[in-house]
Amino acid sequence: MSYAYLFKYIIIGDTGVGKSCLLLQFTDKRFQPVHDLTIGVEFGARMITIDGKQIKLQIWDTAGQEAFRSITRSYYRGAAGALLVYDITRRETFNHLTTWLEDARQHSNSNMVIMLIGNKSDLDSRREVRREEGEAFAREHGLVFMETSAKTAANVEEAFINTAKEIYEKIQEGVFDINNEANGIKIGPQHSPTSPGGLAGNGGQGGAQGGGCC
Amino acid sequence: MEYFKSSLKSVLGAPPPESQPSGADTVERLVDRLQSSSLLDDRRDACRALKALSRTYRVEVGAQGMDALRQVLEMDRTDCEIIGLALDTLCNITNPETFDEEVNKHGLKNKIGEQFTEIFIKQLDSVGQILAFLEEFDFRVRWSALKLLTHLLANRPRDIQEIILVSPMGVSKLMDLLSDSREVIRNDALLLLIQLTKGNANIQKIVAFENAFDRIFEVIRQEGGAEGGIVVEDCLLLMLNLLRGNASNQNFFKEGSFIQRLTPMFQLPPETDDSPLSGWSPQKVSNVHCMVKVIRALVAPSGPAQATAACQRAMRACGLLQALCDILMASGVPADVLTETISAVAEVIRGNASNQEFLAGVMAPSTPPRPAIVVLLMSMVNEKQPFLLRCSVLYCFQCFLYKNELGQSQLVQTLLPQGNEAPSLTTGQLLCGGLFSSDSLSNWFSAVALSYALIDNVTQKEQLLRVLLATNIGKPPVTLMQQCVMLLQQGNKTQCKLGLLILLCRWTAQCPTAVKAFLGIDSSVAYLTALLSSQENNDDLQETLLQSMCALLIGLCVYFNDDTVPNYTKEKLCHLIENRIGLERFQDAIGGITRHEVYSRTLKHPQPSAKNPADLLLDHEFCRLLKNLEGIIVKSVLDGSSSHRNNDPISTLTPSESALVAQYKELIREQDVQIQSLNQVNVTLSKEKCDLEAQIHELQATVNHLKDQNLVLRAAQTNFSDEKQMMSTENHIDTTVREDLDKYKVIVKDLQQRLDDSIMKLKEYEHERSNQSKSMLESALKEKMDELEKLQKDQEDLLELLTDQESKIVSYKQKLIALGEKVESDESSGELDTDDQPESSN
Ligand SMILES: Nc1nc2c(ncn2[C@@H]2O[C@H](COP(=O)(O)OP(=O)(O)OP(=O)(O)O)[C@@H](O)[C@H]2O)c(=O)[nH]1
Ligand SMILES: [Mg+2]
Repeated sequence: MSYAYLFKYIIIGDTGVGKSCLLLQFTDKRFQPVHDLTIGVEFGARMITIDGKQIKLQIWDTAGQEAFRSITRSYYRGAAGALLVYDITRRETFNHLTTWLEDARQHSNSNMVIMLIGNKSDLDSRREVRREEGEAFAREHGLVFMETSAKTAANVEEAFINTAKEIYEKIQEGVFDINNEANGIKIGPQHSPTSPGGLAGNGGQGGAQGGGCC
Repeated sequence: MEYFKSSLKSVLGAPPPESQPSGADTVERLVDRLQSSSLLDDRRDACRALKALSRTYRVEVGAQGMDALRQVLEMDRTDCEIIGLALDTLCNITNPETFDEEVNKHGLKNKIGEQFTEIFIKQLDSVGQILAFLEEFDFRVRWSALKLLTHLLANRPRDIQEIILVSPMGVSKLMDLLSDSREVIRNDALLLLIQLTKGNANIQKIVAFENAFDRIFEVIRQEGGAEGGIVVEDCLLLMLNLLRGNASNQNFFKEGSFIQRLTPMFQLPPETDDSPLSGWSPQKVSNVHCMVKVIRALVAPSGPAQATAACQRAMRACGLLQALCDILMASGVPADVLTETISAVAEVIRGNASNQEFLAGVMAPSTPPRPAIVVLLMSMVNEKQPFLLRCSVLYCFQCFLYKNELGQSQLVQTLLPQGNEAPSLTTGQLLCGGLFSSDSLSNWFSAVALSYALIDNVTQKEQLLRVLLATNIGKPPVTLMQQCVMLLQQGNKTQCKLGLLILLCRWTAQCPTAVKAFLGIDSSVAYLTALLSSQENNDDLQETLLQSMCALLIGLCVYFNDDTVPNYTKEKLCHLIENRIGLERFQDAIGGITRHEVYSRTLKHPQPSAKNPADLLLDHEFCRLLKNLEGIIVKSVLDGSSSHRNNDPISTLTPSESALVAQYKELIREQDVQIQSLNQVNVTLSKEKCDLEAQIHELQATVNHLKDQNLVLRAAQTNFSDEKQMMSTENHIDTTVREDLDKYKVIVKDLQQRLDDSIMKLKEYEHERSNQSKSMLESALKEKMDELEKLQKDQEDLLELLTDQESKIVSYKQKLIALGEKVESDESSGELDTDDQPESSN
């Protein structure tokens, strides 16, 4: 329940590339075959462990549609990590990466870790963007790169966790100012504010079955 | 803006020189100074004076000064004093309230502030500019900018929401104000955020993203939690705005462990004996109300089931449910707080087995100790308790039994013969007591409560059939069902009957044994058929509901009938319905309920929603039952009776009767077609109607808009009514100008016409000309062609002649050679030719 660190993420990229599906696969281990267009943003969360430490990920899945662009920009500042997603079966989503990246760099804090993701790797027969192209783009712009499939869950865990590792390392190196919440990082509460002394005795009946809540 | 100013000027005109300077005059001079003076001090003074005038002469200052004020905001950005003054002036101009100073001139409810808001925000980035001033730390600037935004938002909520939503860091700047150490600013920011987040999910999410919950809890802590003042209530209202109906934010709230931070707020300080009510100031009552609403927003039955369940779990785990139950059992809690808390407990436990179990284990601190649920039910069947409190207890009990098989069976168990006398009051006993009390509301509450023990639980339906009630001494005991039917037949209040029917319908649904028991009770069916055949088309709501429920009950007896009661087999019942009630009438009756607004309202939310005791007639789960079964029941009754008919009457028809039937069938078919085409027409007409309505709407909006604008202008006009003469000359000038204008318009039109004509002619001419020249060329061409042909022919003739000559020359040459003459060869003659050339070319 309590965590050592809390990281805020955003997921960005063209509409239909599978951002919401990636989040759903990561938080609920489910796949959603129909495109449920995201309106504005949606929130999701999960706890992970890095280096033996509990890390809470708060993830904002943004809408890829152009119409929501000005709304979703409000989320760049205040995020520690970003997953920038394209669809390997649609080249135009790869071509738009530069625009996305410019937007992100302009509105976010400079230390934000960006993970480039080529999604839908299960659809290899319909591939339009070669893996090497993704790698090259990432290398050129200093991003981490991965191909994932929200459908088969391939690399989905890794994508979220590696981003966190990257942030974690930056913290260790002292690059991030963790006391500035605008960086999208929070240190966990030393003492859980949830168990005030008086109640422990009273509420014993229910038992603290923490598993469910966060 | 320019338009506004000039139109105002033309309305007002210049004042006569000798009279006292009017307000408008002064305003104009000040605006001039503000705009043209090069000295900052001078501009400041002008701005200060404008601010002072902006209440009494709000229309004049707004109409003439807005551009100048905007210019100040742009040019004098660095001078906090003048910026503060300019913002304050704009604040007055856009104030949504009417100033006392202007009531006489413009009336109580004028929309001047709204008009000026519209004008102000029309210029792009006006709002962005004000947002930028929020970053200035100087109190005069920051606070005034905040107030101005508040006014703009109050006047034009949707517009401002959209603008702030897309202005970079707009929300972020507002959120930072919550950490301002100057309380006025923090509190006003809170109020602004409450308005800003109303009904806009996107803004709500951004606000939450900007750590709103952390900041709100921090302010609540600073202000003393539930015991704190109105600022705490404001914090809670904002929290409520962020959470209500916003699944994403609810998830964020839960995941951020904020539920846990609610618990301490609910822990009441221990009571003091001497003044038990001192703990509940009106402010605290309001605060706790809001806190409870926050909880209910997280576990609302309308929310996504998975998320609701997660919140419910968290609330039990962190002691929040316990704290709520403590409030339930505490003494001295005001009734409305108690009511809301009971409803909150209801939703925290609804459908969640462990939370339901938790409530079942809560004991009230009474002597002897009783389960909290028993104490609650005692209030429900107690006429002296407030109506809304009783409703909330029913809701809580319903939620307790919802998807709770264990709870259902425990309740029924308390009604069954135990062998040993039950020593204490049980839930079952309380409900039976309520069922047979003289208070019809108690009857209704108890019957409905009992019906929840039977939902989706055939076992308990059968168990409940075994319940026997002791009546008068010496008489045999009767079953609970018999007693219910008897009460139904007695002249009780409709409310009581509706309750009993809800119970009986639930009981018989999906349970042939219960149907059998019901049919076996004396005159049970007779009662239903009598009631259904007696009245027709009654407009009374209660009557309609009563008939609906009776029809449903008899329908249930058909559909879930296992043909074990010889007098009332499926077939016989259908026959009965057809003959005694009529199929049409039956269908009409059963569907009657669904035509009422109260039905759709009740269907929407599980909580009883009646405001008055007499309005409490329908229950949520009952409506669902009806909705789910109505179709199949009607079908089974219709099938039952038509099979009946198929067997006898049709087969025995004479040929002439058959012909008649065929004729009717044809007629029906025709009418069917007609109906269809009429439906089609109806659809088109409805669509047209919609379109027209939309148009009307649009026009109305325009009219309103124009009216408002007119208002501002008229307001200004009345202010200068003593200068009517002036105005009339102005008007005169105006009309002459208009006449001139009209004249010129005519002339222009005429010229335009002539120009068009000319262009036309020109085109025609060109066309003609091109046609003409073409034919000329063609004939010339033809001539030339002819000529060419002739020449070619000549040439051919000549060539022929030439070859003729040549052959003649050849023959002459040969003759000459034969005669021994020396003749020149062709080649040598060629050489001679070339020799000639250089000379000729020189
Ligand atoms: N085969 C395959 N289909 C995928 C994968 N990921 C997403 N999809 C499909 O792609 C479509 C779009 O997925 P979403 O996650 O809703 O897209 P999005 O990026 O959130 O789109 P917006 O919300 O409009 O920005 C859906 O029909 C998904 O089923 C994947 O890895 N493999
Ligand atoms: Mg999406």
